[in-house]
Amino acid sequence: METNRVTGAIAGGVAGTAVLTLLLILLEVQTREQIQAFDVIARFVGTPGQTTVGFALFVVAGVVAWPLVFVAIRDYIPRGPDPAAQGAIFAIVLWVAFAVAGRGDLSGPILILYAAYTFFAHLAYGFTMGIVYGHFRGGSQTSREVYAQQ
Amino acid sequence: MVSIDSIPGVVLGGVLLAALVAVGYLRRRRRTMADGGYPTPSERETELETEKPFGLVRWFTTVDHKDIGILYIVFGVVAALWGGTDAMMLRTELITPGKTIWGTETYNGLFTTHGVTMIFFFALPVFFGIANYFLPMLIGADDMSFPRINAIAFWLLPPSLVLVRGGLITEIIGKLLESVGLSALAYPLLALTPIDMSWTMYTPMSSSLANPQIDLALLGLHLSGIATTMGAINFIVTIFAERADDVEWANLDIFSWTMLTTSGIALFAFPVLGSAIIMLFLDRNFGTTFFALEGGGAILWQHLFWFWGHPEVYILVLPAFGLTSLILPKFSGRKLFGFKFIVYSTLAIGVLSFGVWAHHMFTTSVDPRVKASFMAVSIAIAIPSAVKTFNWMTTMWSGNIRLTAPMILIIGGIGTFIIGGVTGVFLASIPVDLVFHDTYYIVGHFHFIIMGIIAMSMVAASYYWFPILTRRMYDQRLAQVQAVLLIVGVTVSFTAMLVIGYLGLPRRYAYYPAEFTLLHQVATAGAYIIALSVFLWIVNFVQSARTGPLVMDADVWNLKESGQFTREWQWFERQLQERRGFERSTPRTPVAEDGGSGGSSDVGDGGEGGGGSDGRDD
Repeated sequence: METNRVTGAIAGGVAGTAVLTLLLILLEVQTREQIQAFDVIARFVGTPGQTTVGFALFVVAGVVAWPLVFVAIRDYIPRGPDPAAQGAIFAIVLWVAFAVAGRGDLSGPILILYAAYTFFAHLAYGFTMGIVYGHFRGGSQTSREVYAQQ
Repeated sequence: MVSIDSIPGVVLGGVLLAALVAVGYLRRRRRTMADGGYPTPSERETELETEKPFGLVRWFTTVDHKDIGILYIVFGVVAALWGGTDAMMLRTELITPGKTIWGTETYNGLFTTHGVTMIFFFALPVFFGIANYFLPMLIGADDMSFPRINAIAFWLLPPSLVLVRGGLITEIIGKLLESVGLSALAYPLLALTPIDMSWTMYTPMSSSLANPQIDLALLGLHLSGIATTMGAINFIVTIFAERADDVEWANLDIFSWTMLTTSGIALFAFPVLGSAIIMLFLDRNFGTTFFALEGGGAILWQHLFWFWGHPEVYILVLPAFGLTSLILPKFSGRKLFGFKFIVYSTLAIGVLSFGVWAHHMFTTSVDPRVKASFMAVSIAIAIPSAVKTFNWMTTMWSGNIRLTAPMILIIGGIGTFIIGGVTGVFLASIPVDLVFHDTYYIVGHFHFIIMGIIAMSMVAASYYWFPILTRRMYDQRLAQVQAVLLIVGVTVSFTAMLVIGYLGLPRRYAYYPAEFTLLHQVATAGAYIIALSVFLWIVNFVQSARTGPLVMDADVWNLKESGQFTREWQWFERQLQERRGFERSTPRTPVAEDGGSGGSSDVGDGGEGGGGSDGRDD
């Protein structure tokens, strides 16, 4: 299925953001709300305490902004032509920004957990985005053939 | 006038149901074909008979043993990652002696959910998944005996996991609802806080804690026990009734033997746990006194719990022994040494496992004469375990050892099993146990086995059978690095715990005296190494399953050379040939794996010489 690159990227962004949101919520669940990632984003954009604003910003960036950037610079990202692997590499850069911006008041040992977990979550975001993008663009994803049907 | 209230609800429900059925029926009839037309009845039948549904529907409706096997494995991995997050949080809390991140309440919740998740939802489901996929192939069966029961047994597990771990999720949902002003809805959700009675659920604490989440967790555990029993019955019947004509008891492969024994133990152990859980549930909610002082007392719970709990240890470890015995010879270039004795020792463990439960109760008020007999059996069970260990070593002796990733993990697993087993022999002795009871020594001891041979044999099997599961090859160097990292992480982390236990620190506490800080930090560092290796495994597995090099020749591991090209690989070769039309490489007479199995005249006789080895190196 051939679609235009923007549509494919945004579809990838939707899927990736869904996965990332799920994983970040799971992190909040596990740590019993120690990290509050979305609050941290809200503080970062200058509206402290307004979680909704933070969340909205997070969704817009994850669904629209980053996937479009990804499509624009894809040729320069290593591990091609597999868009999923490239997406994962791309997401590592995003994670660095997120980890620095989102750290907030966290300090001490919980930073280790925070860093490791958000790293994993971002990889999942980039990977999912790449897979869906590749799926919509057709090709480049190696077909798994009839074998899966056995 | 007829008001809607006067119509019986049953009638309304019936009408609604009939409407739904009618809609479904109509939609089904009008399903379009790919070319835009409607299918004729005969076309629909062909579709039903020969094709699996596509996409998600396939996975929700499947009764194929291979699909169910994959579902089990995926479920087990998800549970393991969730339970592993618990473990990482525990170890992070223990980096400093005082309060690092969470208080005691969360810490108690964490070690409870870690234990429950790993025991009930990780280890056994993964082994059931591996067995579901490969056991029918190994014994030459088309499928499991009861494919639908197989599917039901799996689908009971996800709801059980949610019931057991629900406390955390409902807490978050509750807080969310409260923040938007729906306190009335939030209240019942907030009452469900994470369970924190430890996975052993000892009474009177578990029967008197007010948290209603404990009741939900008990129901979830009961449900998972039902699932396990159904799975076990299925394995037993399959092995008894579905073997191919040339698979006798004498040449049944070693993994099927261990799965048979494991299922046998599960069949006797899990109903006891189920009954005990129901009794506890009744005690908590309906005023019965099974475990109250005026009833059976707290010791009754311990007897019932460990009558399941100790055999459960062998339920988990026997499949690991089976995988070790199966994979080790493949990369040693020799047959399994003393096949018969490995089978006998498996059966011996199966019987003896029911005679050791009270060694968990040496520090209670049980009669000393009873304890002494349990001490004797507990020490005796080391003998069949040692038989296996020595047979494995002898199998490798002067063999042609190839250090592939699965082989590294198998050897590492045997090593960690020796440490875990020998520390266990000490614990079987009552005086030693009185000193070490409920210290970190116990944690170190059983993690050497659980994270050692059990987890390592699973990962080894995942690498060994990766080509059959995915038709692709994984990144072998990354896998070797991962294998070594896992072994190093396990050894570092749990050796530190053994030492902490020797020094006498009790387990299950969030805070500890400052002199243990360094040792705890070493254990935490080891745990992080384990986490890193798990991460590498996932990356390798996911990426290789998508884009790894295609396997062209079924003999990935050069098994024909040593006559160990067993049934599952022969099946794989047939698949490759049928699907892709590749030539088989020169057939050699498939020699028995151990004790003469796999005569398999139905395959391996069609080769037209040469070729075929254009596939993978190892």
